[in-house]
This record gives sequence, structure tokens and C-alpha cells, in this order.
Amino acid sequence: MKTTDASQNDVIKINDLNKWYGDFHVLKDINLNVKEGERIVVCGPSGSGKSTLIRCVNRLEEFQKGSLIVNGVEMIEDIKNIEAIRREVGMVFQHFNLFPHLTILENLTLGPIWVQKQSKADAEAVAMKYLERVKIPEQAHKFPGQLSGGQQQRVAIARSLCMNPKIMLFDEPTSALDPEMISEVLDVMVELAEEGMTMICVTHEMGFAKKVADRVIFMDAGQIVEQNNPTEFFGNPQNERTQLFLSQILAH
Amino acid sequence: MQEFKVLPDLPAPVKTVGPVAWLKNNLFSSWLNGLATIVVVAILAKLLPGLLDWLFFSANWTGTSQDACTKEGACWVFINSWSKQFFYGSYPDGQLWRINLVLAMLVGIITLSIFISKEYRNKIVVPLFLLLPFIGLIILDGSLIGLQVVSTDLWGGFTLNVLLAAASIIVAFPLGALWALGRRSEMPLARSISIILIEFFRGVPVLALFFMGSVMLPLFFPEGTTVDKLVRVWIVLVLFMSGYMAEVFRGGFQAIPKGQYEAADAIGLGYWQKNALIIFPQVIKVSMPNILATFVMLFKNTTFLLIIGIFEMLSTAQTALTNSNWLGGHSTEAYLFVGLVFWVCCYSMSLIATSIERKLNTDHRN
Repeated sequence: MKTTDASQNDVIKINDLNKWYGDFHVLKDINLNVKEGERIVVCGPSGSGKSTLIRCVNRLEEFQKGSLIVNGVEMIEDIKNIEAIRREVGMVFQHFNLFPHLTILENLTLGPIWVQKQSKADAEAVAMKYLERVKIPEQAHKFPGQLSGGQQQRVAIARSLCMNPKIMLFDEPTSALDPEMISEVLDVMVELAEEGMTMICVTHEMGFAKKVADRVIFMDAGQIVEQNNPTEFFGNPQNERTQLFLSQILAH
Repeated sequence: MQEFKVLPDLPAPVKTVGPVAWLKNNLFSSWLNGLATIVVVAILAKLLPGLLDWLFFSANWTGTSQDACTKEGACWVFINSWSKQFFYGSYPDGQLWRINLVLAMLVGIITLSIFISKEYRNKIVVPLFLLLPFIGLIILDGSLIGLQVVSTDLWGGFTLNVLLAAASIIVAFPLGALWALGRRSEMPLARSISIILIEFFRGVPVLALFFMGSVMLPLFFPEGTTVDKLVRVWIVLVLFMSGYMAEVFRGGFQAIPKGQYEAADAIGLGYWQKNALIIFPQVIKVSMPNILATFVMLFKNTTFLLIIGIFEMLSTAQTALTNSNWLGGHSTEAYLFVGLVFWVCCYSMSLIATSIERKLNTDHRN
């Protein structure tokens, strides 16, 4: 049992967060605290603001109202050292976003060499370690365009891990994959979760959510509708909107 | 359980490959295509013999003055006698090795950039390229390194076209990239300055810019300083070229997916790192055809310098044509030769660019 004050362990504190795209109110009064080592799955219909929410965490998106504290640093309007926070927060994108002009190994070592100022040899050793962990060390000298989608996404995960992040964000990591490749990516994510990485995953993979999530959050229309542990969330959803959503995605 | 068997690959049907099939597909695929082939062959048969005769068989190849041109064909003696001026202008005879040295350095660096491994390309080739115009200037001028000083009035010929174009392109490349970044910047001041510069140098005809460079630019320099005419022309060419390159790069920047910026941000790269390591290499790749087109345009535009009295190749040819010893009407030979030399160079540039494109293309390499 953890005896320390719970709020001390919160690596992400989101308080009354509001965001607008022009006139469109995309996030409404979001409150969410994430503890160190906690695995959170965010689901919801498209346009519900779930991607926007996690993109606020590493400030790919700015917000207009409320507060957001990541790793003890408050995200304010004219934040000075945004790169320092981004180093602590890894992100995996729906479309992988690997750098097509660099080899797999160069994709992985770019951040450690240029941002963390590691030597090339050190960075490559770490990169190979993570490539082995995602089970594609033999692809190190190929270019992203030569890999399958599932392999590219595993490289993208390894690229984030090379920066030794405290928090990992996953923005629909399996949505752009062919069905037969989804499980190889989810396997890597499950392993990562079991090692105690703090994770926020936007995904519709409910099997993954049941297996690893500490908490499942359902969002709709820019609000958090319901959050609970997976057993309660799937077995006994409280809100009728949640029930409708679950019946739609679990129906077939 | 049933076993899944992969069928073997079979060779393609014979009718679709081989020379006869090629002829049929390319030259006689329809009656219209067949007719066009026959007409083109007929025209060639009518024109080629006369042309070849004038160019080669009845041409005058040897001699030192136009009196040697007794046969009906072209008087290549004219080109031959003036070849030194065509290529080197009035640069002193004993010093021509300096021009050749600078040219060799240029060719050497270009060759190096093609064959060197990617790892060293940026660390070695880029600084060499950036230094080359200044090293070239020092060698050709000679005053700083104790060689015979050669005034820029004597520089000329085709090597001047080549070196001036190369020196302009080399400086304009990074400058154009900066202007393009400025134009995309979120800082209003940087953006407006970039837009004004780009639109001015793209919007004003290059001839007008040359006149401004030779007449107006000196007014902006502090009193008492004189800047060499050729250096002023260089500055004008650099600025003109930067405007065009900036727009070429802008098109490239727009082709880069937003996800590339986000991935670079998410890793924690700063603004300059992101642009230099992630975005710009991809911009160069997608812009390569347009970059080449702009290079070729600038290279050919160096012939406009004859207007302001710089003895590049075309103005040398015109001077030679009005020389009292060569008033026999050799303009066809002269312009044909100038055209041929430029064409060979532009075509070589296009071959080099194609090879670079292939090297940069990592997208779908199997």
C-alpha cells in the first residue's frame, strides 16, 4: 500500500481545462489527475476531444482556460522551456510520423543525440536495446518506407522510449493499421504497461483496456462523461451515453 | 486439411517484348501514329544531309584566320581562334591555371557530394560549398595571396558564367531557405521583411535588377568605398536567386505533413533543430525538380550581363563578331556554339539532379 499523500504522486494534474478552436468549444471543464505508474485508457466517439486532450499534455495544442501541470511544471501561455517538458513525455501517433529520410536507427538516435546530447555510440546502444524490445532489431538500417505499418508503429514506440520518458501518450496507435498487425503493436504496449510506465492511451481496443487499464475514461462532446476501473466500466456503466457507446462498439 | 500452394511465376507472352513489339507499340500503334512516324522520317531525310554537310563535311576546320574558310560549310576556324576568349575572357594567358583550379574545385566538391557517405556529407561538403565562392574570389583576384593581381575587367568568357552562377547559387541557397522560413514564421516582423524581400526580387525583371546593381547599389554603400562591379552583380544575382529559391522552398515546406512537425516537437527538438534535421532535408527532396529549374534559369540569365558590359560568353561572342579581322559573317557559328555549350552544361546539371533525386528518395526503396 502506498502511504504517501496521493496528490504528491500525481504526474499530471488537469484542472478545469477548457479549449476552443476558434468558436468551437472542444474541451469543457476537464478535470483529471494521473498518478505515477497509472495506465489510463480514453475512449469516446470521434470528435469527442480525446486526442485534443492528450495533445494538450505535451503542448502540441494550447488551451485557453484552466490549468495543466505536468511533472510539476505548469503549462502557461508563454512557457519558456517547452522542449524540457516534451523530453519527459513520449508520444505515439496514429500515423506513426517516422522521419522518412532517416534510417530506423537514425530515427531512434536523433532525439538522444541532439536533445539529450548523448554520444552517438551511447545513443545507438540504447536504440538497439529498444529495437530488440519491440522485436525488430534486424530492421535498424532500413528506411521507414520499407517497413510494414505494424513495424513502423513499433519503431515509433521505440523512438519515444529512447528519450527515457516518464509518461507515454498514445494517440489511437492502432487505428491506421491493417487488422493483422494490431496485435503486434498492442503486445508491445501491454509489455510496457506491465513494466510500470505511466500511460494515457486514446484507443478503441477494448480488449487492451480490460487487460491493462487502471482506469477507463469515456469522453463525449468535449467532456469526461464517466470514468471507472475496467471491470465496473464495462460491466456496469452508469451513464446512458456510455451504455449506448459500449453497445455500439461491442455489438459485433 | 487442405494445403495452400503458391503458383509458380510464368514468363510474359513473347508478343509483348522484343524489338518488333517495341516498333509496333511505339511507332506504329495506330494509323495516325504510323503516319506521323513516316512524315517525321521524311522531313529528317530532306533536312539532315544539308545540315550535316554544313556542320561537318564541307566545314572548315583548320587555319588561323578567316581567309582559311574557303569551303562552303561552317567556318569553325572562327570558334577555334577565339576559343580562349570564349572560355576565359581576357584573363592573362599565363594565369589561366587559376581559373582552371577554381573550376576543378567546384567540380571536385560536386563529385564529392555525390559519392561521400551521408554521415560526412553535411559536415564536410556543406562548409566547403559555402567557402568556395570566397576562396575562388581570392584565387582569381590574387591580391591577398601574392599572385599577380588580375582586375575583374579582364575576367570573362564562359568560365565567368559558370563561376558567377555557382557562386550565386551557393549563397542564395541558405539565404532563400532563411527567407522561406521567415515567410512561414509567426513573428510579424520577420514575416513582413521576408515577404517584402521575396516579392521585390521576384517581381522586378532581372535586367532592371542588373541596372540597379550597377547604378543604384553604389549609392547605398558608405561614401568613399568602391565595390567592384562584378561583386555588385554577384550581390544582385544572389538576391534575385534567393527570392526564387525562397518560393521554391515554400512549396516544399507546404508538402511536408503536419505530423512531421509534431513528431519533431514531441521528441523535444527546438525550432532550428527541427527545421535543419527533419523538415529541410525533406523540403529539398520534394523541391529538387524546381530547384534544378531555378538553377538552370539563373545560369542562363547570366548571359544578360552583356547588357551592363560584363564580358561573359555571349558578349564575348558579339565582340568577336565585330572584330575587323572576322567580319565574314560568322554569327551562325558563334551563336550555335554558345547555345551548344550552354545546352551541354544545363543537360549535365539535369543529370546530376536526377542522380541526387534518386539518392534522396528513401520512400519506396525495396
